[in-house]
Amino acid sequence: MSTETGAGLAPGAARRPASGRSKNVDVYSLWPIAVMVLIIIATALSSPRFLSVFNFENILSQAAPLGIVTMGQCILLISGGLDLSVGYNIAFSSIITGLLLEHNVPLPVAVLAGIAAATAVGFVNGVLAAQGRAHPFIITLGMSIFLFGLDTQLTGGAPVNNMKGLYTAFGSYLPGGFPFFGLPSVTWPFLIVVLLTYGFLRWAPLGRRAYAIGGNEQAAYLSGIPVKRTKIYLYTLMGALVGITGMVLSGQINEASFNLAQNFELQSIACAVIGGTALFGGRGGAFRSLQGVALWGLVQNSILFIGFSSNYQQMALGVIIIIAVMVTRAQR
Amino acid sequence: MVPSANDVGAQGPAEALLYAENVSKRFPGVQALLDIDLTLNRGEVHALVGQNGAGKSTLVKCISGVYPPDGGRITFDGREITTYSPKHAYDLGIAVVHQRPQLLPWLSVTENVMLGQLPARKGLVIDRRKANELTRDLLARLRLEIDPEVPVARLSAPERQQVAIAKALYRQAKLLILDEPTAALDAQRSARLFALIDDLAQQGVGVLYVSHHLEEVFRLADRVTVLRDGRLVATQPTAQLSQDEVVTLMAGHRIAESSLAGSATVAGEAAPALEFCQLETDVLHGVDFVVHQGEVVGVSGLIGAGGHDIARVLFGLDRPTAGRVALNGTTYQPHGPKQAIAQGVFLVPEDPAQDGLVPVLSVAQNVTLVSLKAITRRGVLSLRREREVADRYVGELSIATSSVHTAVRNLSGGNQQKVLLAKSLTSKAAVLVLEEPTQGVDVHAKAEIHRIVRDLASRGKAVMVVSTDIRDLLQFVDRIVALRAGRVVADLPARSTTYAQILDLTVGSVAVPGS
Repeated sequence: MSTETGAGLAPGAARRPASGRSKNVDVYSLWPIAVMVLIIIATALSSPRFLSVFNFENILSQAAPLGIVTMGQCILLISGGLDLSVGYNIAFSSIITGLLLEHNVPLPVAVLAGIAAATAVGFVNGVLAAQGRAHPFIITLGMSIFLFGLDTQLTGGAPVNNMKGLYTAFGSYLPGGFPFFGLPSVTWPFLIVVLLTYGFLRWAPLGRRAYAIGGNEQAAYLSGIPVKRTKIYLYTLMGALVGITGMVLSGQINEASFNLAQNFELQSIACAVIGGTALFGGRGGAFRSLQGVALWGLVQNSILFIGFSSNYQQMALGVIIIIAVMVTRAQR
Repeated sequence: MVPSANDVGAQGPAEALLYAENVSKRFPGVQALLDIDLTLNRGEVHALVGQNGAGKSTLVKCISGVYPPDGGRITFDGREITTYSPKHAYDLGIAVVHQRPQLLPWLSVTENVMLGQLPARKGLVIDRRKANELTRDLLARLRLEIDPEVPVARLSAPERQQVAIAKALYRQAKLLILDEPTAALDAQRSARLFALIDDLAQQGVGVLYVSHHLEEVFRLADRVTVLRDGRLVATQPTAQLSQDEVVTLMAGHRIAESSLAGSATVAGEAAPALEFCQLETDVLHGVDFVVHQGEVVGVSGLIGAGGHDIARVLFGLDRPTAGRVALNGTTYQPHGPKQAIAQGVFLVPEDPAQDGLVPVLSVAQNVTLVSLKAITRRGVLSLRREREVADRYVGELSIATSSVHTAVRNLSGGNQQKVLLAKSLTSKAAVLVLEEPTQGVDVHAKAEIHRIVRDLASRGKAVMVVSTDIRDLLQFVDRIVALRAGRVVADLPARSTTYAQILDLTVGSVAVPGS
């Protein structure tokens, strides 16, 4: 046996790229943190108030809703899919809950109904995407346009202005909210979702199936993985996360409307990609996407602190997305 | 006129088409090439051989401008190459035809051949008629029967390769580098390619032929250069060497000819694991044969003869239109890979990178992909179990990888093939179907795969190996089922069968019984 061991070794071929690359991956994947440190130092120097607890809480509560939906987007991207309907689906769930609350339906029922509505939308996305007849880009784009119409129809274009118990729970700094060790209460769902996503991608068979399908769908199919069913589960899961985001976001600003989460679809994809999730599947992770969300929130906040207009926010974020993808490509 | 091998060797660097001198290339941690000398003359077919990782592809990449060498120099057509870029090399007349040529699938053959140089009226409108005529002439001169007006996507793999060669020649390539050109070809098509190469050499084109197949090398090449571990071992006229000597040069030591064929002792008494009874599909016509437990059966034939189709039926990817398959005595009709695996049948597909493995995932993750349930405890994957399973098979199959966490895409072809075999082992399948398991792997990996397959059979598994490589099959299977045009033309014990016999049966100089 000992003479045979390694007889098939291709000298160097197996080891060379592996050892060379794994180091690079570690260095590269930390770049959002490095950029964040630089931003924090620069902003703090120009405006000392930036480092206050108040501002930190501010960043956190702004980033939390986007962060939750980014976790779902990260899972879908890993599986080779994506969801462009999240923006209007977040609005949809908040509108369902908002309208029910308006009709004095008890809070838990209204919340469950809102989350269920978004989950149902995710399920439909999943069923359509699993057929493989159209790219998820088109399916979820169609769903997004459909939901925009449905959202405006349900509300008549006017927002629902009283989210009652949800506002009590998530509205910033209201007495009676559920503070999280002194942090804004939205930290709760955010943190739980991030940890669950991390565990899901690492330890759940379904998470592993997502990586396999995104990495090579044909190989996954030939390995006996139920590809269609897995896709339906993943999109449905995304729907549930969208519903949670709808509750958090509408609670924070005490309003449910069709434009509650405009651009969340693209922002969540951007955050996941900044964190190193591959746009075409197979690679990525929860904490890496979390870095993307953190960088996103930090840039938005610091630019305002330095005193530039919000137009510069958008310009900076655009530059960051492009650099992020180029860095991710460079490490391959 | 083809210069004889001895003349070729005697020519000096000044007249040579390609003259590489002391070429070295280093990658982080690896000396990929060290002081390689290579002389290639006009009209010469020069073979480049070596095991996987010996440096063949790095040398090809240096010559074709993909990487600049760190040391040494390369002279082409009398001038030293100073700019290293693929485009510059192409402009000089160095063309590489890869195993899977990169063509634009939805453009016609003409458009691919003439890409960027299509004749145009007044420099504006493409003169399609003239372009097609030029291409037709070129193809005729190369004795290729390809319609210049069809999109490349409709061509078969060998035809695409021919188009790529035509494209290179249209640009007046003086040096044609062929990288494993017969990997996707059956015997008949390979023969046609060899004739084309002979023709080209006669017209004065230099050919650098990179291959694992020594028969081909000896059939075609005037001289052969052997690389090992990035170093030049020898350059000699093929007339002065035997195949065994080349294998010894490649390996650095002698390897015993594997003679595992027909070593199953149980085949006679063992229970049949798989029975095909009058199986019919679009391609298959009344296929009848049996694979017993503990037996390795080779299924061979030209591409399209039906071996691949039998495998597809077994894995539930195609439904038979008539006839039946029995698995351990009961009717077997899977609806897809999932059911097939659940019933104990596993398919190792032909192209590991494309169909078998998830390249970005680790060795461990790939090995356990078919058996996630086995490493799941209370709904949660046990990463410890996963590592144990992977470690076990990496050891058992001696997969060369720095760790089980290495991404599979960083492994060599032979080792990727072994990862696939490991997958089939974790699936606990009783019936294994292997498609072209030794395609494109080096001699050592081949011998190892033979050994592993024999080992599986000795543990009672029924193994069916679908392969177009008859010589390879004869080295390790118990029986060979020869297919021609969807029919079984022979079912013979491997030990008393010769290559020529099977080739005759599959290519068709012998009449098909009962058709």
